[in-house]
Amino acid sequence: MTAILEVRNLCKKYPSFQLNHVSFSVEQGSIMGLIGRNGAGKTTTMKSMLDLVHPDEGDVLFFGESMKEKDNSVRQKIGYASGANQFYLRKKIREITNMTKTFYDNWDDAEYQKYIKMFGLNENKKLMELSEGMKVKFSLTTALSHHAQLLILDEPTSGLDPVSREELLEIFQYLAKQGTAILFSTHITSDLEKCADAITYIQNGTVISSKPYTEFLKDYPEQNSLEDIMVHLERKPMQFDQE
Amino acid sequence: MKKLLRKEFFFTALPLTYCFILFAFMTMIPRYPILVGAFFVCMGIFQTFLSAREQNDILYTVLMPVSKADAVKARYLFVNCIQMMFFVICVILTMIRMTLFTQSQVYLSNPLMNANPVYLGYVLLVFVLFNWIFVNGFWKTAYNAGRPFVLFSIATFVLIGIAETLHHIPGLEWMNTWNQCLSFQYLFLAGAIVIYILADYLCIRRSCSSIEKIDL
Repeated sequence: MTAILEVRNLCKKYPSFQLNHVSFSVEQGSIMGLIGRNGAGKTTTMKSMLDLVHPDEGDVLFFGESMKEKDNSVRQKIGYASGANQFYLRKKIREITNMTKTFYDNWDDAEYQKYIKMFGLNENKKLMELSEGMKVKFSLTTALSHHAQLLILDEPTSGLDPVSREELLEIFQYLAKQGTAILFSTHITSDLEKCADAITYIQNGTVISSKPYTEFLKDYPEQNSLEDIMVHLERKPMQFDQE
Repeated sequence: MKKLLRKEFFFTALPLTYCFILFAFMTMIPRYPILVGAFFVCMGIFQTFLSAREQNDILYTVLMPVSKADAVKARYLFVNCIQMMFFVICVILTMIRMTLFTQSQVYLSNPLMNANPVYLGYVLLVFVLFNWIFVNGFWKTAYNAGRPFVLFSIATFVLIGIAETLHHIPGLEWMNTWNQCLSFQYLFLAGAIVIYILADYLCIRRSCSSIEKIDL
């Protein structure tokens, strides 16, 4: 399989946190889960990949090309959605879409309408009038409507109800079968159990494991699920003041 | 760039910014420091910067297939276009004041700045201060708009103070007339045009370099 995304030795130092030689790759048609605790470096990794944050060291190759050298052509093939970044909350969905689509060569109106209907989005509503879950759905709709070959999704399922999450995971699996690579970070490890082909586990800015899902599970034979593995790796004894 | 400019004008810009262009008509107000109109149009542009920041416009833009430098250039072009719309109205009104109202008593007894080529030059110098101090300052962080705007405001009012003072100094009265030393006045305007273009070019270069260094 071809690596759609290669992250090599990504380093970024902040006063109280650092990304430490983060490396992993995502192959065509696969779904990779990027997991770790809050503040482990998942979002910083994604932002560094997208050139929103300037890494101190390391390379990121999309489709074998550096974002810095082929910025526009690479971004045409990437879809990004996040539960946290919300733009133009006071504008109507229709207005945002009409502007966004002009920037993508492969924008597909039929595809866009398909997802608008599937997610039950009302184009005449302002973004601020949507629930958090619906905002994520709109963000995904935009990412899915220009036939991105790689989807980078920062906690896309957070805020979604179980039915929507299930629908979304089905969409991810469908897209992966079509050849789309998906990298998504999440705390909801049960989502990954349903669809992930590979897992990258990040702890305090360091990747401690990046391998196919089944192999990752084999490394922790005593644990029953991803959630158990995460608790096993991260849990420290709580200390309470005792009188 | 065409798409980005379309976005700046029809998506990002506040209607208020366009309304503030009408402050160009302050050129016709007698006994008033008419250069303040140039400050007001910059204040209108400032409102768009604030609104864009609150709407997370920068992140929205750079996540699309456009380079960060182009996003900065598009915003500069937007600023330049608004300033030029204001300037063109000022030029027309200045021509009207210099031709049709030469004998108007309210303008003849005006102790403050008259509309003439020197005034137009000063308008451009106010824009230079805005582009250099505010716009360029904003792109150093792509977030902090308050401090650069306060600095621009102080610098502008100092400039307006100087402009309103100079023509009272013996030997510099020509700066406030509409029928004497016109060649000097046009020279002043030409100098301001050169400074505006040069400063704008340098500002764009510096801001494009700044945005590549900051974390969004």
